[in-house]
Amino acid sequence: MSTSGTKENRSDDTRKAAGEGFAFKALLIGGAGLLLTLLGLLVGDSPRVGLGTLIGLTFWLSIGLGMWFLIMLFHLFDAGWSTVVRRPMEHATTIFPWIGAVFFVLLFFSLFASVDDGIWKWMNEDNTVIVAGETATVEEDVLYHHKSAYLNNAFFFLRTLLYFGIFIGVATILRSASFRQDGDGDGAWTTVCRKWSAAGIILGGLAATFASLDWIMSLEFHWFSTIFGVWFFSGAMRAALAATVIVCLLLVYVGSFRGVFKQSHLYEIGRVSLAFTIFWAYIAFSQYFLIWNANIPEVTYWYVNREYGNWWWVGLALLFCHFFVPFLFLLFYQNKIRPGRMLFISIWILAFHLLDLYFNILPAKHAESGWPYYSFGVSFWDVTAFVGIGGICVWAFVKSYLSQKPIPIRDPRILESLNHHE
Amino acid sequence: MSQEKKYGLIAEFETPGAVMHAAEKVRDEGFKHWDVITPFPVHGMDQAMGLNRSRVPLFTLVGGAIGFFGGMLMIWYMNAYDYPIVVGGKPMFSPMYAFPVSYELTILLAAFGTIIGMFLLNRLPMHYHPAMKHEAVARASDDRFYIIIESTDPRFEVKTATTMLKEIGGQNVTQLED
Amino acid sequence: MISLEETKSVNESLIREARPASVPRRKLVENDRDFNWITERVCGIVEGGTPTWWWVCLLVSGFVSLFTVIGTIYLIAAGVGVWGLSNPVNWGWAIVNFVFWIGIGHAGTLISAILCLLKQNWRTSINRAAEAMTIFAVVCAGIFPLIHVGRVWFAWWLFPIPNANEIWPQFRSPLLWDVFAVSTYGTVSLLFWYVGMIPDLATLRDRAKTRIRQVLYGFFAMGWRGSHRHWSNYEMAYLLLAGLATPLVLSVHTIVSFDFAVSLIPGWHTTIFPPYFVAGAIFSGFGMVLTIMLPLRSIYGLHDLITQYHIDCMCKITLATGSMVGYAYAIEFFIAWYGANDFESFAFINRAFGPYAWAYWIMITCNVISPQLFWFRKVRENPAAVWIICIFVNIGMWFERFVIVVTSLSRDFLPTSWGYYSPTVVDIMTYVGTFGIFTFLFLLFLRFLPLMAMAEIKAVTPQADPHHHDQGGSH
Repeated sequence: MSTSGTKENRSDDTRKAAGEGFAFKALLIGGAGLLLTLLGLLVGDSPRVGLGTLIGLTFWLSIGLGMWFLIMLFHLFDAGWSTVVRRPMEHATTIFPWIGAVFFVLLFFSLFASVDDGIWKWMNEDNTVIVAGETATVEEDVLYHHKSAYLNNAFFFLRTLLYFGIFIGVATILRSASFRQDGDGDGAWTTVCRKWSAAGIILGGLAATFASLDWIMSLEFHWFSTIFGVWFFSGAMRAALAATVIVCLLLVYVGSFRGVFKQSHLYEIGRVSLAFTIFWAYIAFSQYFLIWNANIPEVTYWYVNREYGNWWWVGLALLFCHFFVPFLFLLFYQNKIRPGRMLFISIWILAFHLLDLYFNILPAKHAESGWPYYSFGVSFWDVTAFVGIGGICVWAFVKSYLSQKPIPIRDPRILESLNHHE
Repeated sequence: MSQEKKYGLIAEFETPGAVMHAAEKVRDEGFKHWDVITPFPVHGMDQAMGLNRSRVPLFTLVGGAIGFFGGMLMIWYMNAYDYPIVVGGKPMFSPMYAFPVSYELTILLAAFGTIIGMFLLNRLPMHYHPAMKHEAVARASDDRFYIIIESTDPRFEVKTATTMLKEIGGQNVTQLED
Repeated sequence: MISLEETKSVNESLIREARPASVPRRKLVENDRDFNWITERVCGIVEGGTPTWWWVCLLVSGFVSLFTVIGTIYLIAAGVGVWGLSNPVNWGWAIVNFVFWIGIGHAGTLISAILCLLKQNWRTSINRAAEAMTIFAVVCAGIFPLIHVGRVWFAWWLFPIPNANEIWPQFRSPLLWDVFAVSTYGTVSLLFWYVGMIPDLATLRDRAKTRIRQVLYGFFAMGWRGSHRHWSNYEMAYLLLAGLATPLVLSVHTIVSFDFAVSLIPGWHTTIFPPYFVAGAIFSGFGMVLTIMLPLRSIYGLHDLITQYHIDCMCKITLATGSMVGYAYAIEFFIAWYGANDFESFAFINRAFGPYAWAYWIMITCNVISPQLFWFRKVRENPAAVWIICIFVNIGMWFERFVIVVTSLSRDFLPTSWGYYSPTVVDIMTYVGTFGIFTFLFLLFLRFLPLMAMAEIKAVTPQADPHHHDQGGSH
């Protein structure tokens, strides 16, 4: 017994060392990527680099936020099957402070950028905007003056601080309650989690909504859509579910989830993923359809711009590849239970989620003609930002993962989850 | 001779667990024409009986596809081909405005497909069935569980089947009239 | 490739460490009732003698439903002028009532379909009644747009049937989408309800004492005999119907919201309408389910089947959807300002502080504030309090539709064409009568059909788990 014990310990130790080595590499790559991106902001086409960084940031943040919402939903529904997959999600919420830090760098960059170099146009009164087909400055824009009580630098800064405060605060409480339950097996932690989830889902819903309005919708501050926050939420949920599949399968690969994460869990995630695929399409369709049908120029231009140049093909790609392909794929039972197929569709969904963010963010900068200044394309700086932020996220995840048990061993529903059948 | 008129054998069980374990054994004996009668769907019985996944989804898919494309075609024919007229500055045909109705028709015909598929695969309605002649089997819709082995099964032989049903815990093993 | 069913290198040491903390799940059937008790209790409602209160309620509701019948006949004979409609408000109570009733129906589909997909087993004891509620609510809802078309005898023009003028329905109109949405919804809900009921009808058939009962229940039970080969297809079909009903229920209220949102009227044209209407529909539906189920629970002594846990769950959903509705109100208001469109912001200021402010604040109080009381366990555990709050929810959701329909129409772009809308007595009586129709139909359902899905309730009891006795034996 003692020999097998030491054997296990030794393999645990080597595993941990390998994990730490991996985390360190991720940190190095992430740091290098971020430094390059910073260089790009200073020497490159700065609005393009800034928008690319925002895309990378929202991509990784949306995964974290989606997982955070899923954790809260699992607690609120007292879900049984999901306990084993909840733990990796809890680790993923450790990325919030780092994302926040990078976000503030981007924010300061946009605040202090020279004229027309920032990404949120309204931040500088000398920036150019198109008002009724004519170029003007933000200062001369009546629409800006109407909105300036909300869209001003100080308030924007405070709000961003508040959003990250909510994300980090609630996620930390939920995470540490779950970690502490591993130690003492006290059912009271579950009650703590449920209460904070109830509060968190309301706070988080509002914070994520206004965050998406501030960070993405206000890039083109003339435009508005009441459903925009729900669009962001639906995309985040899809990204989070896809990332969960990838992470869980990787954990099976490295060993800690072997025999823990089973076909039945994969199937459940597949089902939820199908549901949110439909939900995303529903929200995206509602927004497009209502704007298309009413055809009011003050909001229609947003979509008209996104049919300009190669953005037209991006829009179609979203319709067919971000909805139809995953929808039809996930309809079939066999596709939801085979790890290889689920891995494929998860990577697919993440790729098109990224494209969806491009579609929403990148055309925001207008040329003097009013058409999008940038056509769709992936620049070198997009890659550095994506890899840089991603590296930091992976590092934060692995660091947290190595410090805890792979599954919440004392969660009241852990056996239900381990013994889950379809 | 008289035995050939019999439909088969029926045995009673008291709990879902008992009937499921018994079903596993009947399956392992290699019987093909047999059935389990339960008041509610017993979880895990599909595997215990060795049934394949139901084929109802195929009917659903066919119904849904007919609904969606039929709807689109109908709207195109009515509003853009047979009697084109401009309304509200909208195009004669666009998948956008045709979507809501086609969507509803998808759901409607998929639901029809599902229900038709279920009835066809189950051979229902069938108001006469030998199992329903058995007095006690009325309790199958209340709180009792039964296993029926049909005489058409190639492995069926009254004596051995009776002993087997008793061995696996069946009570009141009796013959069913056809 | 990674295999999930591989058993060799399972992480045994980790799985052995798993010792759940004790937070027991609440029971779905109290007092460890057995299968037979469930059958007796549910069938007893149908098989026992007719209670006096049932006759009294049937007569009263029958009398009240005459209001709708008379109101409708008068309307068809005299024309829509007998309602309070006139420029600029040409959509009045009829559309409000339509949206109100169709919304009520949505909880039924939600409980039976979405909760089925989410594997929320607590749905089993309330889904049958909730589905019945759906169908009767759709019946009430369907009356209004039908009689609102003015010349009812031409209503068949709404269907794609060739007619003498050789013209076709106009598919760009959201009102036509409504026709398809509501009729599909009615049909699929009816089928879903019926398919779910087949095993229980078989139970009633097997227990029937009189010939007429045997024949009727037997006919509708379709010869169901509980064969597991059938159950296998049946469960799959049921799951698929649930999977179809879920996007259906979303689409129906989405399309209802399109009636408003595809227009250009300030306060109607806003992109959040579809999910906001769906959340509101579920909210009002749960309010109605609780309004109906709480009295039934005490009349028939169903406390072991509709437990405090069920009530808790429903209260929490009401709270959640009520909060979503509140979210939509807030976002609408915010974007109306943020959008910097004068008409849009006026529409919202006018809602809150204009001539219909009273309706707006009733709506806010009932829909957003009153369900917040469900945060407190003490409130959820007091059936009287829950019932009263649900009545508020019902009232609030009617007013929500009133606010949307009437405030936007009464004051749109041109101040010269502003007006103030009031209903006539015909409006009011036609609406009141639909409660009679709804109650009348529900009483018939109560008396002749199984109120609860017996087979499904049995399937979620602990003794239905085939491994139940295995575990019990090892203790």
